[in-house]
Amino acid sequence: MVLDRSPRLDVVFHALAHPARRAIIRQLSGGECNLSELAAPLKMTFPAATKHVRVLEHARLVRRRVAGRQHFCRLEAAPLKEAMLWTESFRQSWEARFEALDSLLDEMSSEEPSRARRR
Amino acid sequence: MDPIPATSPKHLHISTPTDTTLVLLRAFNAPLRLVWEAMFTPDKMRRWMLPPPGWTLTSCQCEPRVGGALEVAWKSDEADPAMTLRGRFTEVVLHERAVHTETMALGSGQEIGSLLEKHEFAEEGGVTTVRITQTYDLKEARDGAIASGMDEGMEACYQQLDAVLANRG
Repeated sequence: MVLDRSPRLDVVFHALAHPARRAIIRQLSGGECNLSELAAPLKMTFPAATKHVRVLEHARLVRRRVAGRQHFCRLEAAPLKEAMLWTESFRQSWEARFEALDSLLDEMSSEEPSRARRR
Repeated sequence: MDPIPATSPKHLHISTPTDTTLVLLRAFNAPLRLVWEAMFTPDKMRRWMLPPPGWTLTSCQCEPRVGGALEVAWKSDEADPAMTLRGRFTEVVLHERAVHTETMALGSGQEIGSLLEKHEFAEEGGVTTVRITQTYDLKEARDGAIASGMDEGMEACYQQLDAVLANRG
């Protein structure tokens, strides 16, 4: 069990923990965009949008390529997929616990009549 | 307070209605009284609060009354305790609702997260629905909790992630 040893995953979750950055990811899921196209729907200044893109780049969720004066951004899906996988493991651990609870409750229910008889 | 929605047994619903909350919804084929007992009685909790493989639950205390303590500790091959969970009940309405604080810490004492956990219960026709609402201080803390879901795939998953990300450098 590892709780504090994945700086890389921390970076991914940090990157996802801002609505503007999630909006950027949503927009990029439709295809490559340049920085001004990304900034416009966010109603953000160009430098503010650039700052968010940098955070996403740092988490390797976004890759930037420069063509002349244009900066194009592209979504890198692999870390995102891993983060989702992770969320899935949260579900599985709770499902396992609740299935154990189901069995325990079956057992407790079947003991009920005998308990009542003893009273 | 929102009424607890009806749900079919054996299916777990997880939702994130706000940035800092996480809601688990699950129905059980048992009367409410038994579900409450299973969830808040230490010798019953030991049966379902499954630790990650290789871990053992070493102590479990749960007093579902206002001011009552909740204390759970696990040990591993490397550390005893490997992790502790400590909290206090802040609100209890028998067979209806229980709210407790919860702080998780590593064996070293380093705290790894705090949250407020609310359990709400409703019974209909012998089926009990439980809604657990976890409220974290920060959105990052909630996402971190989801990210650190305890299961055996965890270490492998981290390694895989590291490998995937390393190849992209």
